Amino acid sequence: MSSRRDFLGEVWRWMGIGLAALGVGLLWKSLRPARGESREVELTPDLLARLSTGEGFASGGLFLTGTPSVPKALSLECTHLSCRVAPRPAGGFACPCHGSRFDADGRVTSGPARRPLARAVLEKRGDRWIARI
Amino acid sequence: MDRADLTPEAEAPARPSGNFGKLAYSFLAVSLLSGAALVPHYDPVSPLLSLETIVGAVPLGSFLRGLHVWSSFAVLGATLIHVVQVAWRRTEGQLGLGAWWRAVALVPLLLLVLLGGFVLRGDAEARAAGDVWRGLMASIPVVGQGLAAFVLGGVHESLGAVALHHAGTVSILVLLFTIEHARLVWPGTRPATLATLVSVGAAGLLSLPLGPPPPGRGVLLGPWALLGLQGMLVDLPVALGWGVPLLLVTLLGALRASTGRMRGGVLAALGTLVLAWIAFSVRILLLAGGR
Repeated sequence: MSSRRDFLGEVWRWMGIGLAALGVGLLWKSLRPARGESREVELTPDLLARLSTGEGFASGGLFLTGTPSVPKALSLECTHLSCRVAPRPAGGFACPCHGSRFDADGRVTSGPARRPLARAVLEKRGDRWIARI
Repeated sequence: MDRADLTPEAEAPARPSGNFGKLAYSFLAVSLLSGAALVPHYDPVSPLLSLETIVGAVPLGSFLRGLHVWSSFAVLGATLIHVVQVAWRRTEGQLGLGAWWRAVALVPLLLLVLLGGFVLRGDAEARAAGDVWRGLMASIPVVGQGLAAFVLGGVHESLGAVALHHAGTVSILVLLFTIEHARLVWPGTRPATLATLVSVGAAGLLSLPLGPPPPGRGVLLGPWALLGLQGMLVDLPVALGWGVPLLLVTLLGALRASTGRMRGGVLAALGTLVLAWIAFSVRILLLAGGR
Protein backbone atom coordinates (compact mmCIF):
# COMPACT_ATOMS: atom_id res chain seq x y z
CA MET A 1 0.00 0.00 0.00
CA SER A 2 1.43 3.37 -0.94
CA SER A 3 1.62 6.16 1.59
CA ARG A 4 0.45 9.71 1.06
CA ARG A 5 4.14 10.74 0.68
CA ASP A 6 4.56 8.22 -2.14
CA PHE A 7 1.41 9.48 -3.81
CA LEU A 8 2.55 13.11 -3.65
CA GLY A 9 5.97 12.11 -4.93
CA GLU A 10 4.33 10.43 -7.89
CA VAL A 11 2.17 13.49 -8.55
CA TRP A 12 5.22 15.79 -8.50
CA ARG A 13 7.07 13.45 -10.83
CA TRP A 14 4.30 13.42 -13.41
CA MET A 15 3.83 17.16 -13.11
CA GLY A 16 7.55 17.58 -13.75
CA ILE A 17 7.39 15.32 -16.80
CA GLY A 18 4.33 17.21 -18.06
CA LEU A 19 5.97 20.60 -17.62
CA ALA A 20 9.15 19.37 -19.32
CA ALA A 21 7.09 18.05 -22.26
CA LEU A 22 5.23 21.35 -22.46
CA GLY A 23 8.53 23.25 -22.43
CA VAL A 24 9.98 21.07 -25.19
CA GLY A 25 6.77 21.54 -27.20
CA LEU A 26 6.88 25.31 -26.86
CA LEU A 27 10.58 25.39 -27.72
CA TRP A 28 9.93 23.19 -30.76
CA LYS A 29 7.10 25.42 -31.89
CA SER A 30 9.06 28.64 -31.44
CA LEU A 31 12.17 27.38 -33.15
CA ARG A 32 10.61 25.60 -36.13
CA PRO A 33 11.28 27.34 -39.44
CA ALA A 34 8.51 29.11 -41.27
CA ARG A 35 7.09 26.63 -43.71
CA GLY A 36 7.76 27.15 -47.40
CA GLU A 37 9.66 30.41 -47.02
CA SER A 38 9.80 31.71 -50.55
CA ARG A 39 10.05 35.04 -52.27
CA GLU A 40 8.72 36.48 -55.45
CA VAL A 41 10.61 38.56 -57.96
CA GLU A 42 8.83 40.55 -60.61
CA LEU A 43 10.43 40.43 -64.02
CA THR A 44 10.05 44.02 -65.14
CA PRO A 45 9.64 44.93 -68.85
CA ASP A 46 13.22 46.22 -68.85
CA LEU A 47 14.53 42.85 -67.69
CA LEU A 48 12.41 40.98 -70.24
CA ALA A 49 13.59 43.31 -72.99
CA ARG A 50 17.21 42.42 -72.17
CA LEU A 51 16.38 38.79 -72.94
CA SER A 52 15.85 39.69 -76.60
CA THR A 53 19.64 39.86 -76.98
CA GLY A 54 19.64 36.08 -76.55
CA GLU A 55 22.12 36.16 -73.68
CA GLY A 56 21.33 35.26 -70.10
CA PHE A 57 22.07 37.62 -67.20
CA ALA A 58 21.87 37.73 -63.42
CA SER A 59 19.36 39.89 -61.59
CA GLY A 60 17.73 39.78 -58.16
CA GLY A 61 19.25 36.46 -57.21
CA LEU A 62 18.10 34.86 -60.46
CA PHE A 63 19.78 33.99 -63.75
CA LEU A 64 17.39 34.81 -66.56
CA THR A 65 17.45 33.14 -69.95
CA GLY A 66 14.92 32.35 -72.69
CA THR A 67 12.97 34.95 -74.59
CA PRO A 68 10.84 37.92 -73.48
CA SER A 69 7.71 35.87 -74.17
CA VAL A 70 8.98 32.63 -72.58
CA PRO A 71 11.52 33.57 -69.91
CA LYS A 72 13.33 31.03 -67.75
CA ALA A 73 14.87 31.69 -64.34
CA LEU A 74 17.40 29.78 -62.31
CA SER A 75 18.07 30.53 -58.65
CA LEU A 76 21.62 31.67 -57.98
CA GLU A 77 21.59 30.24 -54.45
CA CYS A 78 24.11 27.42 -54.06
CA THR A 79 22.45 24.23 -52.85
CA HIS A 80 25.39 23.45 -50.56
CA LEU A 81 25.31 26.31 -48.03
CA SER A 82 23.27 29.04 -49.76
CA CYS A 83 26.10 31.22 -51.08
CA ARG A 84 25.35 33.26 -54.19
CA VAL A 85 26.84 31.47 -57.23
CA ALA A 86 28.30 33.54 -60.05
CA PRO A 87 27.97 32.97 -63.80
CA ARG A 88 31.27 31.87 -65.36
CA PRO A 89 32.57 33.44 -68.56
CA ALA A 90 32.93 29.95 -70.05
CA GLY A 91 29.32 29.09 -69.17
CA GLY A 92 27.74 27.58 -66.11
CA PHE A 93 28.08 28.82 -62.55
CA ALA A 94 30.66 28.72 -59.78
CA CYS A 95 30.17 29.05 -56.04
CA PRO A 96 32.71 31.40 -54.42
CA CYS A 97 32.43 29.75 -51.00
CA HIS A 98 33.45 26.13 -51.47
CA GLY A 99 34.07 25.84 -55.19
CA SER A 100 30.96 23.97 -56.38
CA ARG A 101 30.43 24.12 -60.14
CA PHE A 102 27.16 23.94 -62.09
CA ASP A 103 26.50 23.75 -65.80
CA ALA A 104 24.31 26.22 -67.71
CA ASP A 105 21.18 24.26 -66.73
CA GLY A 106 22.12 24.33 -63.07
CA ARG A 107 23.25 20.69 -62.84
CA VAL A 108 26.15 19.96 -60.51
CA THR A 109 29.41 19.33 -62.35
CA SER A 110 31.60 19.28 -59.24
CA GLY A 111 30.87 19.35 -55.50
CA PRO A 112 30.57 19.81 -52.61
CA ALA A 113 27.01 20.74 -53.72
CA ARG A 114 24.93 17.66 -54.54
CA ARG A 115 21.64 19.12 -55.75
CA PRO A 116 21.12 21.21 -58.88
CA LEU A 117 20.32 24.91 -58.70
CA ALA A 118 16.61 25.49 -58.13
CA ARG A 119 14.45 26.51 -61.05
CA ALA A 120 12.17 29.44 -60.27
CA VAL A 121 8.49 28.89 -60.95
CA LEU A 122 7.35 31.50 -63.45
CA GLU A 123 3.77 32.57 -63.73
CA LYS A 124 2.11 35.28 -65.73
CA ARG A 125 -0.18 37.60 -63.78
CA GLY A 126 -1.87 39.91 -66.26
CA ASP A 127 0.95 41.33 -68.32
CA ARG A 128 3.55 40.75 -65.62
CA TRP A 129 5.88 37.80 -65.13
CA ILE A 130 6.49 36.74 -61.53
CA ALA A 131 9.32 34.38 -60.58
CA ARG A 132 8.83 32.47 -57.33
CA ILE A 133 11.83 30.86 -55.63
CA MET B 1 47.39 22.40 9.54
CA ASP B 2 49.42 19.33 8.68
CA ARG B 3 51.11 19.66 5.28
CA ALA B 4 49.89 16.19 4.35
CA ASP B 5 46.31 17.50 4.48
CA LEU B 6 46.85 19.96 1.69
CA THR B 7 45.06 19.04 -1.53
CA PRO B 8 46.85 19.47 -4.88
CA GLU B 9 44.59 22.47 -5.50
CA ALA B 10 45.68 24.12 -2.29
CA GLU B 11 49.34 23.59 -3.22
CA ALA B 12 48.89 25.10 -6.65
CA PRO B 13 50.97 28.15 -7.50
CA ALA B 14 49.39 31.60 -7.49
CA ARG B 15 49.59 31.81 -11.31
CA PRO B 16 48.62 28.26 -12.20
CA SER B 17 48.28 28.70 -15.94
CA GLY B 18 50.99 31.17 -16.86
CA ASN B 19 50.38 34.71 -17.95
CA PHE B 20 48.52 34.11 -21.20
CA GLY B 21 45.16 34.17 -19.46
CA LYS B 22 45.77 37.67 -18.14
CA LEU B 23 47.22 38.67 -21.48
CA ALA B 24 44.08 37.42 -23.26
CA TYR B 25 41.99 39.42 -20.80
CA SER B 26 44.10 42.52 -21.49
CA PHE B 27 43.72 42.11 -25.26
CA LEU B 28 39.99 41.70 -24.68
CA ALA B 29 39.90 45.04 -22.85
CA VAL B 30 41.70 46.75 -25.76
CA SER B 31 39.35 45.06 -28.24
CA LEU B 32 36.20 46.07 -26.35
CA LEU B 33 37.30 49.68 -25.84
CA SER B 34 38.35 50.15 -29.47
CA GLY B 35 35.16 48.40 -30.61
CA ALA B 36 33.05 50.71 -28.45
CA ALA B 37 34.74 53.68 -30.12
CA LEU B 38 33.77 52.30 -33.55
CA VAL B 39 30.13 51.54 -32.73
CA PRO B 40 28.76 55.10 -33.25
CA HIS B 41 30.19 55.18 -36.77
CA TYR B 42 28.83 51.82 -37.92
CA ASP B 43 25.44 51.47 -39.56
CA PRO B 44 24.41 47.85 -40.24
CA VAL B 45 22.10 49.01 -43.03
CA SER B 46 25.07 50.29 -45.05
CA PRO B 47 28.10 48.39 -43.77
CA LEU B 48 30.46 49.12 -46.64
CA LEU B 49 29.76 52.85 -46.50
CA SER B 50 30.26 52.75 -42.73
CA LEU B 51 33.60 51.07 -43.15
CA GLU B 52 34.69 53.58 -45.78
CA THR B 53 33.61 56.39 -43.46
CA ILE B 54 35.52 54.88 -40.53
CA VAL B 55 38.65 54.39 -42.59
CA GLY B 56 38.47 57.64 -44.57
CA ALA B 57 36.58 60.25 -42.59
CA VAL B 58 36.67 59.46 -38.87
CA PRO B 59 39.76 60.90 -37.11
CA LEU B 60 42.04 57.96 -36.26
CA GLY B 61 39.33 55.66 -37.67
CA SER B 62 41.70 53.43 -39.61
CA PHE B 63 43.96 53.13 -36.57
CA LEU B 64 41.00 52.31 -34.30
CA ARG B 65 39.80 49.65 -36.73
CA GLY B 66 43.30 48.13 -36.78
CA LEU B 67 43.48 48.27 -32.99
CA HIS B 68 40.11 46.48 -32.74
CA VAL B 69 40.89 43.80 -35.30
CA TRP B 70 44.44 42.95 -34.19
CA SER B 71 43.60 42.97 -30.49
CA SER B 72 40.60 40.70 -31.21
CA PHE B 73 42.83 38.25 -33.08
CA ALA B 74 45.24 38.40 -30.15
CA VAL B 75 42.43 37.59 -27.66
CA LEU B 76 41.79 34.32 -29.45
CA GLY B 77 45.48 33.52 -29.93
CA ALA B 78 46.33 34.16 -26.26
CA THR B 79 43.23 32.23 -25.14
CA LEU B 80 44.23 29.16 -27.16
CA ILE B 81 47.76 29.25 -25.69
CA HIS B 82 46.17 29.62 -22.25
CA VAL B 83 44.05 26.51 -22.90
CA VAL B 84 47.19 24.54 -23.81
CA GLN B 85 48.88 25.79 -20.62
CA VAL B 86 45.92 24.69 -18.51
CA ALA B 87 45.93 21.22 -20.05
CA TRP B 88 49.72 20.98 -19.75
CA ARG B 89 49.79 22.00 -16.07
CA ARG B 90 46.63 20.02 -15.22
CA THR B 91 45.09 23.02 -13.49
CA GLU B 92 41.56 22.66 -14.84
CA GLY B 93 40.38 21.20 -11.50
CA GLN B 94 40.88 24.58 -9.81
CA LEU B 95 37.67 25.90 -11.30
CA GLY B 96 34.22 24.88 -10.15
CA LEU B 97 32.26 22.77 -12.65
CA GLY B 98 29.97 25.60 -13.78
CA ALA B 99 32.80 28.11 -14.01
CA TRP B 100 34.85 25.58 -15.99
CA TRP B 101 32.10 25.04 -18.57
CA ARG B 102 31.56 28.79 -18.86
CA ALA B 103 35.30 29.20 -19.37
CA VAL B 104 35.18 26.50 -22.06
CA ALA B 105 32.27 28.33 -23.70
CA LEU B 106 34.58 31.31 -24.15
CA VAL B 107 36.35 29.53 -27.02
CA PRO B 108 33.27 29.14 -29.29
CA LEU B 109 31.99 32.57 -28.20
CA LEU B 110 35.28 34.15 -29.24
CA LEU B 111 35.09 32.35 -32.59
CA LEU B 112 31.53 33.58 -33.06
CA VAL B 113 32.44 37.16 -32.23
CA LEU B 114 35.38 36.96 -34.64
CA LEU B 115 33.13 35.63 -37.39
CA GLY B 116 30.58 38.35 -36.62
CA GLY B 117 33.24 41.01 -37.03
CA PHE B 118 34.25 39.51 -40.37
CA VAL B 119 30.65 39.47 -41.61
CA LEU B 120 30.10 43.08 -40.47
CA ARG B 121 32.62 44.21 -43.13
CA GLY B 122 29.69 43.83 -45.50
CA ASP B 123 31.70 43.33 -48.71
CA ALA B 124 31.19 40.39 -51.08
CA GLU B 125 33.49 38.10 -49.11
CA ALA B 126 31.81 39.01 -45.83
CA ARG B 127 28.34 38.44 -47.29
CA ALA B 128 29.44 35.02 -48.52
CA ALA B 129 30.78 34.22 -45.04
CA GLY B 130 27.41 35.23 -43.63
CA ASP B 131 25.67 32.90 -46.10
CA VAL B 132 27.90 30.00 -45.06
CA TRP B 133 27.26 30.77 -41.40
CA ARG B 134 23.51 30.82 -41.96
CA GLY B 135 23.54 27.63 -44.04
CA LEU B 136 25.64 25.86 -41.43
CA MET B 137 23.40 26.89 -38.54
CA ALA B 138 20.24 26.08 -40.47
CA SER B 139 21.53 22.53 -41.01
CA ILE B 140 21.44 21.84 -37.24
CA PRO B 141 18.44 19.58 -36.62
CA VAL B 142 15.34 20.99 -34.90
CA VAL B 143 16.76 24.27 -33.61
CA GLY B 144 18.92 25.25 -36.59
CA GLN B 145 16.54 27.50 -38.53
CA GLY B 146 15.39 29.36 -35.43
CA LEU B 147 18.96 29.75 -34.19
CA ALA B 148 20.08 31.12 -37.57
CA ALA B 149 17.23 33.64 -37.57
CA PHE B 150 18.04 34.68 -33.99
CA VAL B 151 21.76 35.12 -34.57
CA LEU B 152 21.73 36.47 -38.13
CA GLY B 153 18.27 37.96 -38.59
CA GLY B 154 16.11 37.35 -41.65
CA VAL B 155 17.57 36.23 -44.97
CA HIS B 156 17.08 39.55 -46.74
CA GLU B 157 17.46 41.83 -43.74
CA SER B 158 20.34 44.13 -42.80
CA LEU B 159 23.26 43.14 -40.59
CA GLY B 160 21.45 44.57 -37.55
CA ALA B 161 21.16 41.25 -35.70
CA VAL B 162 24.81 40.39 -36.35
CA ALA B 163 25.90 43.84 -35.15
CA LEU B 164 23.75 43.55 -32.04
CA HIS B 165 25.18 40.19 -31.05
CA HIS B 166 28.74 41.18 -32.01
CA ALA B 167 28.81 44.42 -30.04
CA GLY B 168 26.25 43.39 -27.43
CA THR B 169 25.15 39.89 -26.46
CA VAL B 170 28.28 37.87 -27.24
CA SER B 171 30.77 40.54 -26.17
CA ILE B 172 28.97 40.98 -22.85
CA LEU B 173 28.93 37.21 -22.27
CA VAL B 174 32.64 37.01 -23.09
CA LEU B 175 33.41 39.82 -20.65
CA LEU B 176 31.25 38.35 -17.86
CA PHE B 177 32.67 34.84 -18.26
CA THR B 178 36.20 36.23 -18.38
CA ILE B 179 35.74 38.28 -15.20
CA GLU B 180 34.23 35.25 -13.46
CA HIS B 181 36.99 32.99 -14.73
CA ALA B 182 39.84 35.33 -13.81
CA ARG B 183 38.16 36.54 -10.59
CA LEU B 184 39.60 39.92 -11.49
CA VAL B 185 38.18 43.14 -12.87
CA TRP B 186 41.57 44.61 -13.78
CA PRO B 187 43.93 42.14 -15.48
CA GLY B 188 47.05 43.82 -14.13
CA THR B 189 49.34 46.67 -15.21
CA ARG B 190 52.02 44.58 -16.93
CA PRO B 191 49.77 42.45 -19.18
CA ALA B 192 47.57 45.47 -19.90
CA THR B 193 50.59 47.54 -20.93
CA LEU B 194 51.98 44.72 -23.07
CA ALA B 195 48.62 44.10 -24.77
CA THR B 196 48.17 47.80 -25.49
CA LEU B 197 51.67 48.18 -26.91
CA VAL B 198 51.34 45.08 -29.13
CA SER B 199 47.89 46.15 -30.38
CA VAL B 200 49.01 49.73 -31.05
CA GLY B 201 52.11 48.46 -32.84
CA ALA B 202 50.11 46.06 -35.02
CA ALA B 203 47.49 48.72 -35.80
CA GLY B 204 50.20 51.16 -36.82
CA LEU B 205 52.29 48.77 -38.88
CA LEU B 206 49.89 46.27 -40.48
CA SER B 207 47.23 47.24 -43.00
CA LEU B 208 43.78 45.67 -43.19
CA PRO B 209 41.92 44.69 -46.35
CA LEU B 210 38.94 46.73 -47.47
CA GLY B 211 37.00 45.53 -50.47
CA PRO B 212 36.58 42.39 -52.56
CA PRO B 213 38.91 39.39 -52.28
CA PRO B 214 41.80 39.04 -54.73
CA PRO B 215 40.55 37.98 -58.19
CA GLY B 216 40.94 34.36 -59.20
CA ARG B 217 40.37 32.89 -55.75
CA GLY B 218 37.81 30.12 -56.16
CA VAL B 219 36.91 29.60 -52.53
CA LEU B 220 36.11 31.74 -49.54
CA LEU B 221 38.78 31.84 -46.83
CA GLY B 222 37.08 33.82 -44.04
CA PRO B 223 38.60 34.49 -40.60
CA TRP B 224 41.93 32.73 -40.05
CA ALA B 225 40.69 30.77 -37.05
CA LEU B 226 37.89 29.21 -39.09
CA LEU B 227 39.98 28.19 -42.11
CA GLY B 228 39.91 24.58 -40.91
CA LEU B 229 36.13 24.64 -40.77
CA GLN B 230 35.95 26.07 -44.28
CA GLY B 231 38.29 23.32 -45.48
CA MET B 232 36.08 20.67 -43.90
CA LEU B 233 33.01 22.08 -45.62
CA VAL B 234 34.64 21.61 -49.02
CA ASP B 235 35.34 17.93 -48.50
CA LEU B 236 33.09 16.61 -45.75
CA PRO B 237 29.33 16.51 -45.08
CA VAL B 238 27.78 19.76 -43.88
CA ALA B 239 26.79 18.22 -40.51
CA LEU B 240 30.48 17.97 -39.59
CA GLY B 241 30.66 21.74 -39.94
CA TRP B 242 28.87 22.10 -36.62
CA GLY B 243 29.52 18.55 -35.34
CA VAL B 244 33.31 18.94 -35.17
CA PRO B 245 33.27 22.27 -33.24
CA LEU B 246 30.65 20.81 -30.91
CA LEU B 247 32.84 17.75 -30.34
CA LEU B 248 35.89 19.95 -29.70
CA VAL B 249 34.04 21.98 -27.07
CA THR B 250 32.57 18.86 -25.46
CA LEU B 251 36.00 17.21 -25.23
CA LEU B 252 37.50 20.36 -23.75
CA GLY B 253 34.70 20.48 -21.20
CA ALA B 254 35.14 16.78 -20.40
CA LEU B 255 38.79 17.35 -19.57
CA ARG B 256 37.92 18.52 -16.06
CA ALA B 257 35.96 15.39 -15.22
CA SER B 258 38.47 12.92 -16.64
CA THR B 259 41.42 11.44 -14.84
CA GLY B 260 44.19 8.95 -15.57
CA ARG B 261 43.87 7.04 -18.83
CA MET B 262 40.57 8.72 -19.64
CA ARG B 263 42.26 12.12 -19.50
CA GLY B 264 44.91 10.82 -21.87
CA GLY B 265 42.20 9.65 -24.25
CA VAL B 266 40.40 13.00 -24.16
CA LEU B 267 43.66 14.84 -24.80
CA ALA B 268 44.52 12.48 -27.67
CA ALA B 269 41.10 13.03 -29.25
CA LEU B 270 41.46 16.80 -28.82
CA GLY B 271 44.93 16.72 -30.35
CA THR B 272 43.71 14.69 -33.32
CA LEU B 273 40.86 17.10 -34.01
CA VAL B 274 43.16 20.12 -33.73
CA LEU B 275 45.62 18.51 -36.14
CA ALA B 276 42.76 17.76 -38.56
CA TRP B 277 41.64 21.40 -38.23
CA ILE B 278 45.16 22.58 -39.12
CA ALA B 279 45.38 20.12 -42.03
CA PHE B 280 42.07 21.36 -43.46
CA SER B 281 43.27 24.95 -43.03
CA VAL B 282 46.30 24.14 -45.19
CA ARG B 283 44.07 22.28 -47.64
CA ILE B 284 41.79 25.27 -48.29
CA LEU B 285 44.73 27.66 -48.53
CA LEU B 286 46.23 25.42 -51.22
CA LEU B 287 42.83 25.20 -52.94
CA ALA B 288 42.46 28.99 -52.91
CA GLY B 289 45.95 29.43 -54.30
CA GLY B 290 45.41 26.88 -57.04
CA ARG B 291 42.22 28.27 -58.59
